[in-house]
Amino acid sequence: MEITLVQGLLLALIAFICGADACWEAFYWFRPLVVAFFAGIVLGDVKLGLAAGAVAELSYLGLLTVGGTVPPDPLMAGMMTTVIAFTAKQTPEAALGLSLPFALLAQWIGIICNTTFAGFLAPLDRAAAAADDKKFIRITLTGVVIKAGLYAVITFLSAFALQKQISGFVEMFPVWLIHGFEVAGGLLPAVGLTLLLVVMLKKQNIAYLFIGFLMATFLSLNNILPVAVAGVAVAFIGFLKDSEKKSPVAAIPDGGEDDGGI
Amino acid sequence: MAVSREKLTKKDIDKMSLLSILEQSCFSFERMQAPGFVLGMIPGFKKIYGDQKEEVAAAMQNNMDFINTEPHMATFLQGLILSLEENGQDRALIKNIKTGLFGPLAGLGDAIFWFTLLPISAAICCSLASNGSVLGPILYILIWAAACFSRLWFGRMGYNMGVGAVDMISQNANAITKAAGILGMMVVGGLIPSYVSFTFAETLVAPGGVAIQSIFDSIMPNILPLGFVFFLYWLFKKKHVNTLMLIVLIILLSIALSFLKVM
Repeated sequence: MEITLVQGLLLALIAFICGADACWEAFYWFRPLVVAFFAGIVLGDVKLGLAAGAVAELSYLGLLTVGGTVPPDPLMAGMMTTVIAFTAKQTPEAALGLSLPFALLAQWIGIICNTTFAGFLAPLDRAAAAADDKKFIRITLTGVVIKAGLYAVITFLSAFALQKQISGFVEMFPVWLIHGFEVAGGLLPAVGLTLLLVVMLKKQNIAYLFIGFLMATFLSLNNILPVAVAGVAVAFIGFLKDSEKKSPVAAIPDGGEDDGGI
Repeated sequence: MAVSREKLTKKDIDKMSLLSILEQSCFSFERMQAPGFVLGMIPGFKKIYGDQKEEVAAAMQNNMDFINTEPHMATFLQGLILSLEENGQDRALIKNIKTGLFGPLAGLGDAIFWFTLLPISAAICCSLASNGSVLGPILYILIWAAACFSRLWFGRMGYNMGVGAVDMISQNANAITKAAGILGMMVVGGLIPSYVSFTFAETLVAPGGVAIQSIFDSIMPNILPLGFVFFLYWLFKKKHVNTLMLIVLIILLSIALSFLKVM
């Protein structure tokens, strides 16, 4: 079945709203089950939206593998599974497989946004230094509008006009370019962590950096919590030592402590 | 430092928690959630410091570092920070505590929301939806809306914990700053292997047929991410490079290395 212009615009609106939530991960409207439900309402086939949403959601959770595909972007997977099932009269399972290029495209756009938004940090730093809260909020929200807007644009184009062309575009797209952004995505956190070290690293605590690094490298940890517990333990030992020192120093006159040495 | 107690009300903390819905706005790989994390605390800072613009600026800048935590539980840290700012605690202390806690909170939050609530709620709601019931997505939306407002509770908890510990912190400020610095360093050290990924392509082979990456791995796993961090540290400390320039360079270099099939 054909999608009308109005339906295409409404789908884009859904993509914009759910896309903002995809940035925030606040209401979980970016999950396939919700996106597909909304898309089903717009297309006038709620039953289809429910079925497509369930298939895409479970597949994205890894609870259900359809043809071995785990769609990379959940929002776009939910959206395009519904749209393709509707337009091409496919089963939701088959449509999920066909939605993969679109989910990939959205994932790439996400990676490119996360990489290039690092450029927003310098103006944000300046706004913070000037305590210019309005400007700070404006820049921060610009990032959301851009990303959600891109979701809306690809949804509109994919659903209404250029479904085949976009699918072909994704297949032809140079993989090295996307991989380049992925590589940058792996390297850029080093900048953030380094900026933190520039402020926090001192001769007295550099040893702990290595201890934490070695723990995380050689113990197979699911998250940083065990390192932090060890950190609290070590920090507590230091804290006790410091507070023990405080009481005798107060009682003994200055320099008295060193007299016993050697 | 001037002590300004009891400027914030429960309402202010709740406002902060609601603003934390925007916590992941403008997420970037460099400092991840920093912009949104600061944004949520701005009204609190402004209320604490009023017309003292320099103080608001200093408080905002103090939180612009790398942070990545579970969005629902970020409010715990924000509440804690507001309580410490309100009581005029040292900013180095605040930064150390924040750096030490965001990683563990992320681990805790992910375990609760991402690995427990998400699979369970999705399994229930999907089975409803695949039976054709609109209750599936609606229940899903409701469950996550309820989860969303757990941030109010985390925010109050963080703020109250900070207020409750203020006297203890004030009396031992130096020792706590040092201890929190140790915790922070250990956590940052632990974050390097999980957040920074620096690996050469498997196809990149040294003369003799040994993959370059495996040579580095046999010296020590993750030695490249660690070395890269210290290389950047050197650039910042000794060469005073411009951060924005550095980011652009890293992106261009990454694309070039990917094109040449080096990484």
